[in-house]
Amino acid sequence: MVFSSLIFIFFFLNLTLGLYYMIPKRIWRNCVLFVMSLIFYGWGEPVYILVMIFSVTSAFLLGFFISKYRESNIKLSRLFLIISVCVSLALLFFFKYFNFVAENLMLLTGQNGGLVIEGLKLPIGISFYTFQIMSYSIDLYRGDANLQKNYVSFGTYVTLFPQLIAGPIVRYKDVDAQLNGRTESVALFASGVRRFITGMSKKVLIGDGAAAVYEYFKSASGVSNTVAGAWMIMLCFTIHIYYDFSGYSDMAIGLGRMFGFRFLENFDYPYISTTISEFWRRWHISLGTWFREYVYIPLGGNRNGKLKQLRNLAIVWLLTGFWHGANWNYIIWGVYYGIILIAEKMFLGALIEKLPRILRHVYTLFLVGVGWIIFSFTDAGAGFDCFRALFGSGCDSFTTATVTYQILRALPLMIVAILGCTPLPKKLWDRLCTVDWTAEGKLDSRGKPVERSDGGCPSSAAGWVFSGIGTAGSLFLFVLSVAYLVNSSFSPFLYFIF
Amino acid sequence: MKKLKLFNLITVSLFVLLIVCLTAAFLIIPDRDFSEEENRKLSQVPKFTLEKLADGTFSDQITKYIEDQFPMRDLFVELKGYSELALGKGENNGVLLGRDGQLAVRLFDAYKSRLERIEDTDLYSEENIIAGIEALNRFSESCELPVVTLIPPRSVDVACSAVDYPSEISDSIRDTIASNISEKAGYIDLFGEMRGRFDAGEYVYMRTDHHWTSYGAYLAYCEVMRSFGMEDEIIPAENFTVEGVKDFYGTTWSKAGFRFVGPDTLELWSLGNEDEFETSCYSVIQSYSEDGSAVKEKKAYKSFSSWLNRDYLDQKDKYAAFLDGTHNEQTVFMKGGSGREKLLVVKDSFANSLVQFLAQHFDLVIINLANKVSDVTSYADEYGCSRILFVYNVANLIETSNLSAIK
Repeated sequence: MVFSSLIFIFFFLNLTLGLYYMIPKRIWRNCVLFVMSLIFYGWGEPVYILVMIFSVTSAFLLGFFISKYRESNIKLSRLFLIISVCVSLALLFFFKYFNFVAENLMLLTGQNGGLVIEGLKLPIGISFYTFQIMSYSIDLYRGDANLQKNYVSFGTYVTLFPQLIAGPIVRYKDVDAQLNGRTESVALFASGVRRFITGMSKKVLIGDGAAAVYEYFKSASGVSNTVAGAWMIMLCFTIHIYYDFSGYSDMAIGLGRMFGFRFLENFDYPYISTTISEFWRRWHISLGTWFREYVYIPLGGNRNGKLKQLRNLAIVWLLTGFWHGANWNYIIWGVYYGIILIAEKMFLGALIEKLPRILRHVYTLFLVGVGWIIFSFTDAGAGFDCFRALFGSGCDSFTTATVTYQILRALPLMIVAILGCTPLPKKLWDRLCTVDWTAEGKLDSRGKPVERSDGGCPSSAAGWVFSGIGTAGSLFLFVLSVAYLVNSSFSPFLYFIF
Repeated sequence: MKKLKLFNLITVSLFVLLIVCLTAAFLIIPDRDFSEEENRKLSQVPKFTLEKLADGTFSDQITKYIEDQFPMRDLFVELKGYSELALGKGENNGVLLGRDGQLAVRLFDAYKSRLERIEDTDLYSEENIIAGIEALNRFSESCELPVVTLIPPRSVDVACSAVDYPSEISDSIRDTIASNISEKAGYIDLFGEMRGRFDAGEYVYMRTDHHWTSYGAYLAYCEVMRSFGMEDEIIPAENFTVEGVKDFYGTTWSKAGFRFVGPDTLELWSLGNEDEFETSCYSVIQSYSEDGSAVKEKKAYKSFSSWLNRDYLDQKDKYAAFLDGTHNEQTVFMKGGSGREKLLVVKDSFANSLVQFLAQHFDLVIINLANKVSDVTSYADEYGCSRILFVYNVANLIETSNLSAIK
């Protein structure tokens, strides 16, 4: 099931919220979440509930051993950690990478058939929840987290439907305390509702719109290669993946809040970055954190000299690329970022810093855009053709009348989308809502209206009006998103490959 | 802080109220079978089986079912239409909003793979057009009867001047057809004529439907008669009395979601002699005789006077009044056996409104060119037709491979 669907909003969410809040006791509330999450997970592929339960159970049981021997026999504890991690990785490898490896082995050895398992479907979200399970085992081993003795609570952590299929990847130690000791409140619920609506609008109104334009140009590129079309492919995918993915994270965070959870942020305006290193600190933060914490730092991080650091970076980025999908283009994509990040660490970063700010943005956005071309074309050859076409190589013309029509048609949406990638709209809005308009035009020393210190609390008539408009606008966006779902035309789901 | 709390409370209660009420409405309001607005059957509660649950089709069907039966669906569709307009897209669901409320579908149905439909494409496969045209060429070159072919353009090919959408795709389709079709196929290029008439302000294509108007059909009829060398027998337009059926909202209107666009008027052209004609619809029923061999029997399952089923004129799908909508095999004969020349019409729905003119000259044998029809010659032989007319519009030529199967 996906969040941006009628069945989720009007049946699943209703029912889950109802059951959850009708039951007073925490442990039973977790039970509701666990069971409903399994239903959520099994909706499209019921068989994989079994895989999920196996993963949860094995990690849960092995957790006892990791914890038990941690004080007395660290080697034994480590052995159980290794077993637990291996079980998780084996499942991930089998479902996600086995056929890819098999196909390439067959290519290499010139064999035909035999190795590939037909009809092996990827359990949705396996990359996300496998990483969550591993974080539990590792945190436990490191002593960063307490043993979870309650199966339901642990099951709830892994399967919790808000973050189950597209993240954020929640580290166990970040929610450990919340699993049994969170407090739900009206304020948290309301902020959850607002966040959920924001995310849904981002995904449904902007993300899907950009995706449709992207698909159009991508399928058109074979027929009429144009320079403008290639740039549109890059632009639209850049917009699409951000709005889709960050919208999904927003929805996850919002839904979490409705049930009293506070998840960490996953995106922080990545497209305003001025270097690629900064971009990756702002993009899919939970994944970057996971790799840093559980791969980069254990490998030695930057502590063992430049050369080792470069090796560690290379490993992390190869894995990051491969994590995104079992295909060569994702590996290339990871290597691509690995190379840029290493270059930035070594010399490029210092060079870039001297550039004017605007050029640093251009540098970052262009490299990110090229990255998305690599990412979006599973056929690396077609991806390269698209890249070439950006500079007119292999193109029939700069544009055609139909291509121009498509661009003009998409333009208003693109402008809204680009503005929405920056903190500008939020800043403006917060200012409108919090400015004390009754302070008789009081200006601070920099000539700006005095902002109120109590943050978000309307105190004047104007503040009331804006808060009212905010509430109404938010609900309107919700209704509008529902309209797009009812009359759906194109709503891709990106996370089947993860 | 009290006031902030108030807004939080309002947000939460309105959100919960909204989802609970819509769900309740969904559960309480009985399911509809058919959407008049959208002119299509709506999905019903899917049957539950374990297999369907396991392979995921059940969840797909449920999704479709909820979308179709969602409370106030028409309102939501309309809201999306306005939103798309507000975004400056000038179209919704692939339907262009042109000047004076002219609607036109610009997209083709295309599939990326068997299941994944690309909605937003105006790309077409040139090979598919050529495959259809070549089948037509082969057919007409081997056929001894005179053949005339109409490939009616789509609204978007005709109403170029009313929409911002460029005409280059229309033009290239037109060129592809014209440069590949053999002379024997008797192809009549209607693009130029229809465009010219449209630009002159004549009502040749409907604004809210993908079909031509009866006047548009009349123009096509004149061309057909000329091609058959029967120019002298063309009945002048002024001899007809025209009955206008108001408030016709066509299929394009339903798809577009631009509910503010006004209706078309469906015209019925008449010489006052319709009662002298009878339309029959046939189907082939296969049964087994006593010795076990299959026996095919052709049976008329429906007959009515003239070529109109007036019941449809009170419904939304008024165009279906012509020939009672789509049937696989029909005849429109003069009652009592006229001994007139028989014309075989191999067609899609564009031909339905042509019948009101052609029936005045020929006894018509009408075959709907669907995916199971291929042996056109056998129909000509069976009924003893002396001429063949193909009417297959551009959208069908591109989206289906039916024409390429004929022989």
